[in-house]
Amino acid sequence: MTQEEKIVLLEDMLELDGGSLTPEMELASIDEYDSMAKLSLIVLMDEECGKKLTGEQIREFKTVADVLNFMGE
Amino acid sequence: MKGIEFIGKRFVVSGAGGIGAETAKLLNSLGASIILLDINEENLNNTLLSLEGTNNRAYICDFSNVDGIEQVVKLIATENGAVDGFVHCVGVGSVRPLKMSKYDFMLKVMNINFFSFVEIVRCLSIKGRYNSNGMNIVGVSALGAYLGNSTKTAYCASKGAMNAAIRCLAKELAPKNIRVNAVAPGVTDTPMARVAEDYGADSDEHKMILARQYMGVCQPLDIANTIAFLMSDMSRMITGSCVAVDGGKLSS
Ligand SMILES: NC(=O)c1ccc[n+]([C@@H]2O[C@H](COP(=O)([O-])OP(=O)(O)OC[C@H]3O[C@@H](n4cnc5c(N)ncnc54)[C@H](O)[C@@H]3O)[C@@H](O)[C@H]2O)c1
Repeated sequence: MTQEEKIVLLEDMLELDGGSLTPEMELASIDEYDSMAKLSLIVLMDEECGKKLTGEQIREFKTVADVLNFMGE
Repeated sequence: MKGIEFIGKRFVVSGAGGIGAETAKLLNSLGASIILLDINEENLNNTLLSLEGTNNRAYICDFSNVDGIEQVVKLIATENGAVDGFVHCVGVGSVRPLKMSKYDFMLKVMNINFFSFVEIVRCLSIKGRYNSNGMNIVGVSALGAYLGNSTKTAYCASKGAMNAAIRCLAKELAPKNIRVNAVAPGVTDTPMARVAEDYGADSDEHKMILARQYMGVCQPLDIANTIAFLMSDMSRMITGSCVAVDGGKLSS
């Protein structure tokens, strides 16, 4: 998956307009990134990236880039 | 009144997780031999090792494959003879926002939590596979069947389906002396609850759920005790019921 494709997946998940997210953005500054979105992220990581995401790992994410890196190649 | 004892009885217990393992141990300590079913070999072996006596058995069975269940029940009947009861403790506690809850996912939860339960009851309630004097069946439902929990549509619907099914099964199977009941646990201290907590511990939803359960979190033995009662003659006039073991949650 390219960086752009990963960003589109996250934007869709958060119901944000295309182009809203950049890697530098702090997750805490994104209103849509709430507890419901975190649950969706667990499913997205599992189904789209084949990665198991734990609550602990979610709490360690600070920026969009952290999430993109976790999504892998 | 004499206490509960199951000497000479043979029970099928599906699900060797937190609640299932505790249930198997309790029924076994009251005299029953136990036939365990689970997909997880480690859970099966650990639970089997904790049981007393030489007639306990374990079978690997994937409850998401409902079509495969009949074969396993036939094998159990051939290898062990008629059974005296069945407790369904297999379950997945899926937490998933509606947005991500596509049909595939909904179906998988329904298969494991609900359709497999009905399929085992169907296969076991055939003459020769259960004690000719009758048997008792308990499904482990969940208090969530009665509540609105966001992110738990599939889970709560599967448990609501179980509660509706046991009323129908109870009536249909009464002529065969088969009683069918459910237990609806509130939050219970098992691996399932700990996973949910890991994902949502900081969410307001999770805090609210715990606050509503004003007597505190249930232990697996609290659920197992109620199951033992429903499997025994002490509950002989109870069928088609769903007993809440919920630390008061439903009343708050
Ligand atoms: N723990 C709680 O807070 C709670 C609350 C209400 C209801 N319940 C219900 O209690 C029951 C037991 O839950 P638990 O807390 O012991 O959970 P658990 O996760 O400890 O045990 C569940 C067991 O089911 C087995 N299983 C899962 N998928 C399977 C499959 N496809 N085929 C065969 N086996 C499979 C697992 O291997 C595990 O051994 C479940 O039905 C659950 O919904 C639990």
